[in-house]
Amino acid sequence: MTLMFLRTALVSTLLALSACSPSTDVPRTDAPSAPVTRAPTTDGIVDGDLISYPASDYHEAGPGKRGGTLRVTTAADTGTFDVHSISHGNVQWLGRVLYDCLVYQDEQGNVSPWLAKSWEVSDDGLTYTFHLREGVTFSDGEPFNAQAVKINLEHMRDPATKSPLAAAYIAPYVQGRVLDEYTFEATLREPYSPFLDVLAQSWLGMISPRQILEAPKSIAEHPVGSGPFVLHSYTRDQGAVFVRREGYDWSPPVTRHRGEAYLDRIELSFVPEAMIRFTSLEAGQSDLTLDAPPQNAKGIRESTALTLRSRIRKGNPFRSLTFNVERAPFDDVRVRRAVAKGIDREGLAWIIGFGEFRPKADFLAANTRYYDPAYKDVLAYDPKAANAALDEAGWSARDAEGYRTRNGQRLGATLVATESPSFSSAVAVAIQADLKKLGFQLRIELLPVAQATDRRYAGDFQIIGGGYWHTNTPDGLYILYHSDSITSEKRIGQNGGRFRDAELDRLLATARRSHDPAQLQPLYSKAQQRLAELVPVVPSFESHVLVAYSKRLAGVIFDTSHNTIFLPSLWLQPEAE
Amino acid sequence: MNSIAIRIFWRLLAGVGVLWGAASLTFLAINLSGGDPALAILGGPESMPTPEMIVRVRAEYGLDQPLIVQYGHYIARLAQGDLGESYRLRIPVAQAIGAQIGATVQLSICAALVAVLLSVISAITTAKRSPWVRSLVSGTELVLSSAPSFVIGILLLLVFAFHWHVLPPSGSGSWQSLILPTLALALPLAAVLTQVLRQELEDILDQPFIAMARARGMSETGVRLRHALRHALVPLVTLAGFVFASLLGGAVIVELLFSRQGIGRLMLDAANAKDVPMVLGITLLAAAIYVAVNLVVDLINHWVDPRVKSA
Repeated sequence: MTLMFLRTALVSTLLALSACSPSTDVPRTDAPSAPVTRAPTTDGIVDGDLISYPASDYHEAGPGKRGGTLRVTTAADTGTFDVHSISHGNVQWLGRVLYDCLVYQDEQGNVSPWLAKSWEVSDDGLTYTFHLREGVTFSDGEPFNAQAVKINLEHMRDPATKSPLAAAYIAPYVQGRVLDEYTFEATLREPYSPFLDVLAQSWLGMISPRQILEAPKSIAEHPVGSGPFVLHSYTRDQGAVFVRREGYDWSPPVTRHRGEAYLDRIELSFVPEAMIRFTSLEAGQSDLTLDAPPQNAKGIRESTALTLRSRIRKGNPFRSLTFNVERAPFDDVRVRRAVAKGIDREGLAWIIGFGEFRPKADFLAANTRYYDPAYKDVLAYDPKAANAALDEAGWSARDAEGYRTRNGQRLGATLVATESPSFSSAVAVAIQADLKKLGFQLRIELLPVAQATDRRYAGDFQIIGGGYWHTNTPDGLYILYHSDSITSEKRIGQNGGRFRDAELDRLLATARRSHDPAQLQPLYSKAQQRLAELVPVVPSFESHVLVAYSKRLAGVIFDTSHNTIFLPSLWLQPEAE
Repeated sequence: MNSIAIRIFWRLLAGVGVLWGAASLTFLAINLSGGDPALAILGGPESMPTPEMIVRVRAEYGLDQPLIVQYGHYIARLAQGDLGESYRLRIPVAQAIGAQIGATVQLSICAALVAVLLSVISAITTAKRSPWVRSLVSGTELVLSSAPSFVIGILLLLVFAFHWHVLPPSGSGSWQSLILPTLALALPLAAVLTQVLRQELEDILDQPFIAMARARGMSETGVRLRHALRHALVPLVTLAGFVFASLLGGAVIVELLFSRQGIGRLMLDAANAKDVPMVLGITLLAAAIYVAVNLVVDLINHWVDPRVKSA
């Protein structure tokens, strides 16, 4: 009997260790390596390689009909509603349901008012003075004022909040002062021009100051915000019900929404299986899925009852590979360039996106401010050029198996990767096959997330697979490629490949000190050029938001920071019958 | 009476030993699997915790201490019934499990009942029947017992939820939403149980006392229900442990497929996020239920069949 027990214990343990990949989000094999026909991709206006969205995607065309319950599905539960304390992607749309931010981006990515009516930035870039909107209240009756802003910024950076994202985004914030009831002054340690942009992101929404002070732990399951909906009930891993906040009248002016939300209720269900999200939408059992499965995209586009929207997240696109530039053979930029040019991104985008994802060979998402398409072809797929670069780097001999060698050493490296919806083992194998054609031997080491994360931060790898960073400013480049973002004893940083370049550092740091578009454009343009030349990573495709909904759903507009659906403006058309 | 009390005492003591073993093994395994728990607590790969936060988290969770000290603290807290706080959810593990266990228990009990009922009906009606009935039924059983709950679940969903729209595809609120997951979990189990039960029945139907019953003019149904089934059920009780293990394993998959809340999903998310206290808590819970189930089975066997008497 004891043996049987041990077996159960072992089974549970194995279960814990193997971290079985739960969903069928990702096709395992057989994805076509080259697209035969291009399905209609991404929304928006595609002009050559620039992509833009019409301003009408971001504001209401007219008032909607009041009433009704919207049934929404999403793949995962965030586990907590304290948006300051997590980095979960769902916060991008969830935050807009429960909370409001100080500012909101406009259609062009400029910062525009929300709970802050206006603001001034001192000439030295260190002092921000916010003039706040009056008459805003949290759903517990607390007024929104300068004190509330101060308490929220404190909560974000309080180590007890364990914030993985919000705290880092406001890291230069030193102290706040309440100048009067509706005027708040923030002082920064050093100039940091993305400060306003990040304040527009959903992870930095405003929570009731009373709740933060009196019962911070209760935010997780009973959040109190000032947003257009109030949490009515929540069942972990099951769903949540939100009801309209009566008296709400402070939507971001950019959205042109006035007054309360149209919907009575939003019923959110957490549906981990992609197939079920699709089928329940198709069967009319839900009205909207915020995680539309790419494998069903074609079916949704062909359906007369459903609409599919594919949008690009601002910031940095998906990377297929990040090189550790401190390890051979990737300390040689020629090898990095050869690998980048030797990978067929169209194929990778197809394996994951089924024709819905835009392949990408440069370093900023196409809808990010100051994106410069001039360098988009520098790293384009070109096996001939890749072979030439390897010859030039001295890897010109071949061994019996056809791999390149130099001084008797075979050209190759080990890829550390984690199985995920955006980086499946099928992607790893496709890259392996592409590189084999160059005479480069790629070994694949698939690891659980926690172990791969450790290896990444420790710099203990040659190449690591996957990853993207979404933020609503080009400062994402600083987060990924500035030498200050290399993990060290003192900090955790996202520059996993330990890339350092003095010139790039200078460009990105200067950009942080400027608010002037005339200065920022050339700075970020040069930074993108520098990255295309130095190849710290291999960009592969844009980071997409795929949503699908019933044609009954009206008032669909998108969030200017995250490009996710802005739920507060939705309404339901009456049933056809 | 006294001997039973002593028996229970020793079994409980052994149970505590088993729990301790499970706790220690899981603790060791999850800590040796690599990955910095402080990073897991602070949001995994897509996060940028500040250095102060990492220091604070290490101290708060005692991660700055040697593993053996952490183990000691852990066992000491366990002994006081404290399962700790979940890394991922930042609420007490006991609270998180408490909120999810009801749904899993409900599903497991329903599935166990349905499985037993189905297997009894199927075994009684098919034992010692004509070869073609037998081969049809055992063919079905073979398919059901070898197909994963996942496949059966998808088939059920396609037919009942998406084609006929008679049952909801997801959720755990209503009794209707319980039907499909129960069947997905119960069918493979029922298939295995039927195979065992029918074998037993057929052996018993060959026994002389059955021939006696028939000779007394008892109907075939009466023979099967009143005499054979009673004897055949005894070995089935012993299988309770197996039933439990299969329900627990199946629940992980079924809860995911049918978007149900429950322990299985909690465990999966915890394992993916390297949520050590949660994984340990659920493992211990599973072990504890296992101990309890086996104790009860043991006592029932003892009571049903007095020949099973050992210290």
